[in-house]
Amino acid sequence: MKTIGLAVVAAALFAAPVFAAGENVIIDPPAEGSVSVEDGLSAWARVYEVASHPRCSNCHVGSDNRPMWSGPSYGKTRPHGMNINAGDSRIGVETIQCSTCHSYREGLNDTPHAAPQVAMNWQLAPVEAEWFGKSSVEVCNQLRDPDRNGGRDYLETASHLDHDLILHWAWNPGGGREPAPYDLQSHVNDVLAWGVAGTPCPDDE
Amino acid sequence: MGRLRTIGRRSFLIGSAAVLGGVAFGVYRANRPFENPNLADLPEGAASFNPWVIIDSDKITLIAPHADKGQGVFSAQAALIAEELDVELDQVEISFGVPDQAYFNTAFADAAVPFPQYDFSDMAEGARGFVGGTLRAFLPIMGTGGSSAMPDSYDKLRHAGAVARETLKAAAAQQSGIPTAELKTEAGAVILPDGTSLAYTALAGVAGQIKPVTDVTLKDPSDWRLLGKPMQRVDMAAKSTGTQNYGIDHQMDGLLHATIKVNPRQGGVMNGYDDSAARNMRGVIDIIEITGGVAVVADNTWRAIQAANGIEFDWGPAPYPAEQADHWDVLSNSFTSEKLNAEARVVGDVDAAPGEAVTAEYRSPYVAHAPLEPLNATVLVTDERVDIWTGHQVQMMLETVVADITGHAAENVHLHNMFMGGSFGHRLEFDFVKQAAEIANSMRGTPVKMTYSREEDFAHDFPRHITMGRGTGRHKDGQVTSLDVEIAAQSVLTSQMSRLGISLPGPDVQLHEGAWDVPNLNLPNIRVRSYKETGLAPVSSWRSVGAAPNSFVYDTLLDETIHAAGADPLLERIRLMGHDVSVKVLETVGEMCNWSGHDLGDGRGRGVAYAFSFGVPVATVVEVSQGDAGIKLEEVWIAADVGTVIDPVNLENLAFGGTIWGLGHAINSEITYADGMAQQTNYHAHEGMRMYQTPKMHFTALENTPKIKGFGEPPVPPAAPALGNAIFAATGKRLREMPFHKFIDFV
Amino acid sequence: MRLTVNGQAREVDVEDDMPLLWVLRDELGLTGTKYGCGIAQCGACTVHMDGLAVRSCQVAAATADGADIVTIEGLGTPEALHAVQAAWVEHQVAQCGYCQSGQIMQAASLLNLNPTPTDDDIDIVMSGNLCRCGTYPRIRAAVKTAAVKMQGA
Repeated sequence: MKTIGLAVVAAALFAAPVFAAGENVIIDPPAEGSVSVEDGLSAWARVYEVASHPRCSNCHVGSDNRPMWSGPSYGKTRPHGMNINAGDSRIGVETIQCSTCHSYREGLNDTPHAAPQVAMNWQLAPVEAEWFGKSSVEVCNQLRDPDRNGGRDYLETASHLDHDLILHWAWNPGGGREPAPYDLQSHVNDVLAWGVAGTPCPDDE
Repeated sequence: MGRLRTIGRRSFLIGSAAVLGGVAFGVYRANRPFENPNLADLPEGAASFNPWVIIDSDKITLIAPHADKGQGVFSAQAALIAEELDVELDQVEISFGVPDQAYFNTAFADAAVPFPQYDFSDMAEGARGFVGGTLRAFLPIMGTGGSSAMPDSYDKLRHAGAVARETLKAAAAQQSGIPTAELKTEAGAVILPDGTSLAYTALAGVAGQIKPVTDVTLKDPSDWRLLGKPMQRVDMAAKSTGTQNYGIDHQMDGLLHATIKVNPRQGGVMNGYDDSAARNMRGVIDIIEITGGVAVVADNTWRAIQAANGIEFDWGPAPYPAEQADHWDVLSNSFTSEKLNAEARVVGDVDAAPGEAVTAEYRSPYVAHAPLEPLNATVLVTDERVDIWTGHQVQMMLETVVADITGHAAENVHLHNMFMGGSFGHRLEFDFVKQAAEIANSMRGTPVKMTYSREEDFAHDFPRHITMGRGTGRHKDGQVTSLDVEIAAQSVLTSQMSRLGISLPGPDVQLHEGAWDVPNLNLPNIRVRSYKETGLAPVSSWRSVGAAPNSFVYDTLLDETIHAAGADPLLERIRLMGHDVSVKVLETVGEMCNWSGHDLGDGRGRGVAYAFSFGVPVATVVEVSQGDAGIKLEEVWIAADVGTVIDPVNLENLAFGGTIWGLGHAINSEITYADGMAQQTNYHAHEGMRMYQTPKMHFTALENTPKIKGFGEPPVPPAAPALGNAIFAATGKRLREMPFHKFIDFV
Repeated sequence: MRLTVNGQAREVDVEDDMPLLWVLRDELGLTGTKYGCGIAQCGACTVHMDGLAVRSCQVAAATADGADIVTIEGLGTPEALHAVQAAWVEHQVAQCGYCQSGQIMQAASLLNLNPTPTDDDIDIVMSGNLCRCGTYPRIRAAVKTAAVKMQGA
């Protein structure tokens, strides 16, 4: 870390997010043992459709720390313009803070081609959750592994989807962007079903 | 003055190669001095010996009439006067002054004769003098463009400063009884032999009573204390502290804010609109129809834009092909005798030239101007007069155009010209000021600032003209023997003049500029032909106009032919050139980069390009490297000959800036039409160059051209071909169409 | 809403979603901060909010409520130039100058957080600021000079 200034900035940016009113997700997993492996894998397939969609995968990038611009609104897939690099902090502390352009906003920034905004500090997902260009098998194995998913079990993963407002944006991105498939609640339900089924992955024996 | 429309019908116009014949005019009329506009309101005790200097008991004011779009002419004009007047730039006020015939541009004639600008023969200079005199007599045009401000100002403003200096000395002589020969001038004062200092401001009253001393000798450049040396531009501190006001920043009591929407299918009609949602939005004061669209007037610019975005429009179709592919098709079919604009250069016989042929077709797309300050104008209309605050390049014509709308006499319409946040040619169009005038005219007594949203600025830009080139180069025994170039393009002049209701006689030189006038005096066979298309999208002058696309066509074809011949790209260009001044420019750029061939190995390559525009030869070398992620621009060297360097610091900034302009657009910018509308709506889709792609850059200026030339545009044309040639050298891939990123990745 | 601008308490009555850019320009008459694109593609609108550079065209008025804003006018004046501004003048950076308010505010923020930036650092932080006149080579040089000035002060 370079200077005290950077540490102060990092602390400010990572401060507890404000929970916006509105989105209310019900965490109600199916009964234990009630989801077959086959149904769990179907649920996983839908989870992967969401995870691999540009609204999610564009920020679930690897250790080069560059967000991606992909999907119908961008034409050709390419790294985020303007040489943007979120740095190892994943939030631009060492480089230029994401919130320089992706300002905190309560409510939707609906202007086409503007910087998406949420009531939370815009940032990349942790580097362990690298999904861009990864297969269903790869993402599944990462998401079910506490060593690589922030130490969470499937219930905590589902709750995390409720708390982190930045994730809700995927289904209501505004500005003419294509939303992620299904909806937040269905996605949470699929994660729960997958969890109850024993978090099966397509390459399990 | 006579209105442009009337005089146009006398078969004479700027930019046309038609040399005026048979128009009689008196020598007196051609040479009569224009009245000094400063005399009209000159206060008691003040003096103005000519249109460029005003001195009163408090201050010295220099008039710098040319528009400043960032090219630094405001400061440079003041320096020309100040050099001779013996004042320091921090002692004077500088003003754009009032638009007036007295400031007509004497350098527009340079391009308006059928002699290339590297030709300084008696015949060529005689033609320029003739055309210049005719222009002065019939059509004195005040305007800034075509890199002409320095050629226009160089002698005129130094002379003005010298006249003022000598007149002040004469006043001091009168007052002190000491002969002028014993008087000196320094830092805004006349110095008597005993060291007494008489400030110019103190002498103003006396000086104003005597006849200006016009028989003056200008200083030899070796005696210059300001010119030719690094200068601090007078606008630099303001532009670094947010205290420089541009048109968009103008404020005044009672100002309302407006924006407009006109048909994005340019020139198409508005069938109808529904403003019911917009009318009730916060801050909206009025919504009115204007020519071609609607204006929203509000108490805040953003509210006006939000409301305008809330209006539903029914727009009519475009008067040009709705789809981009059709624009290329039209051009593709324009290489016909029917559309021939000019056979601009014929040397030897290209059809009988010896050697193997290289044949290719090139495409240069529409690109937007998009200066960072979106177009805007503030207008206040009363029954007595009209006041306009905006940045504009054709100052007097603007007043006439607005007078047409409001019904005032042109002399009661007053432009207060302002610094521009860029132009690149867009601010010589009139639409945005006409729209602002219409709005203000409907609310007389209330000043209205009309600002384009960035989206409207893109939608309503008149882009660089689309161009297609075809050519055949021939080579034998390792040498280029022939170049046969054809260029078909949408005509900028026709498009611009149609917006003014004027039709131009004669061929359009811009369609082949940058191609016909590349000297290549040792190339035995040359033919350059241009074809004029007028039915495509409306277009306007984009920094360097025809020279940018035409240099891409010409120099890339030349490069392809040189490579096919197995010759060295730099050495062969030097061998062919035959024009001494240009040869030195090419040799210099070679020395700067230690040229030893185009292929540096390891995926690195260099391209060289030569372009000649606005009288300035420029040679540019670009070095690129190819990596896994794409092409990286490593380094760029530029050499140019401007005749006389006024400020080496500003000149270098223009060299780098113009090159970056050319490179950035070549890499990633184009305007394409779909459903009759430009598809690119903001900078995300039309970026130009950003800092991370900017290479290391080097510049050398030479001063061998006999006359001073401007440098706002000349660095642009060689940039794109130099980059294309470098990419070929590094990768073997030949790019014949811009923007390049459609065909190759850049990091 | 209430906010501090260049050390002065200001109060405005505007809708929640009016961009801070237009609060500054049209409501408060501070025109040093510029409008170039409205979508965070050009950086001409850059100001400091609570000590960090932001694109004021993307900051909703509601978000700026209670914030401490510094604009280019507050960074320094012709009579009392900030080190970054002095470096800009020394290197004669500007051509048309319209982007330079934003460039300077971003550079000042860069140097506050990273007093000794490398060439790559500068390219990463400054590439969001567009200059149509192509003054990038001089901006790079001026940032380096300003870094030295600010270290030495």
